[in-house]
Amino acid sequence: MVLTCPVGIGRTIQRDQASGHTRRKLLRVGALLALGGAAAPLTGCDLFDRDDEPSPPPDPLRPMVDESLRLAAAHQAAATAHPELADRLGPIAEAHTAHATELARVIGVALPSPPAATPTTAPAATPAAALAALRTLEKSGQKSATLACAAAPAERAALLGSIVAARATHQEALK
Amino acid sequence: MRQPSAGEALAAALSAEYAAIYAYGRIGVRLSGAARDAARQAEAAHRRRRDALVVQLSTSGGSVPPDRAGYALPFPVTDRASALRLAVEVEERTAAHWRAALASTTGADRDQALAALVEYAVRATRWRKTAGLTPQTVAFPGRPA
Repeated sequence: MVLTCPVGIGRTIQRDQASGHTRRKLLRVGALLALGGAAAPLTGCDLFDRDDEPSPPPDPLRPMVDESLRLAAAHQAAATAHPELADRLGPIAEAHTAHATELARVIGVALPSPPAATPTTAPAATPAAALAALRTLEKSGQKSATLACAAAPAERAALLGSIVAARATHQEALK
Repeated sequence: MRQPSAGEALAAALSAEYAAIYAYGRIGVRLSGAARDAARQAEAAHRRRRDALVVQLSTSGGSVPPDRAGYALPFPVTDRASALRLAVEVEERTAAHWRAALASTTGADRDQALAALVEYAVRATRWRKTAGLTPQTVAFPGRPA
């Protein structure tokens, strides 16, 4: 049924392969070699580089890693305070950790150790209040992920879209 | 893998919307009460996106894939349980097509794709709730398994 897209995409790839771009591929390899040659002297210059060059700006997705870990910690803290919610909150906490792991991989940093159960606010007194507090956190998390998705380059857009959608579904599951 | 153009990604999303509308025709008759109303609303949402895509693709000069008379369902829909399972599946699969469109689009087109991904992912969660399936959420909605 809805599988029509993957099938379509598969067809497109086959067409590309069938027509064969051997020559283009060779040209591309040539271009890469040329780039490699040009890069070598630059590496040499770096030897004499002093520390006056600004360090590269932090990856714009870095705050998203921390936010995902904070969300995971908030769910874990609520599950500890209200064990009757653990079955519901466990998978959501795991999802946030999975997001943090994937984001860290994409931006090429090691996953920072989770904030040792120090969510900014103490868990709410009742399960209902805890769920409401988590919904609020997920909602603001959805907003920040939406902004990140809109600004992201193509190769990051799908991952961020999934994170936006996950945070939206969490609000639904916390109702 | 070559990145599909925005037109190709949206054409694929349109084909998915056609199939979703077809599937909801089969789903709705197996449901009653609130679930049936929810199916009707879901189908209406897929129809709205289909209509918008047809207009968008034809005004931008892209190719508009045709609807088909029928679509093969992944499993037979014989009762309420299988209808709800199919509803989850339909929402997840259409969400996946819109997710795929994110990388090919920017600006308003990406916003539109993201809105569809979010809406369908949330609806998949609602259907899981109605069906009593757990967990109600997946870590990466729309990501191919």
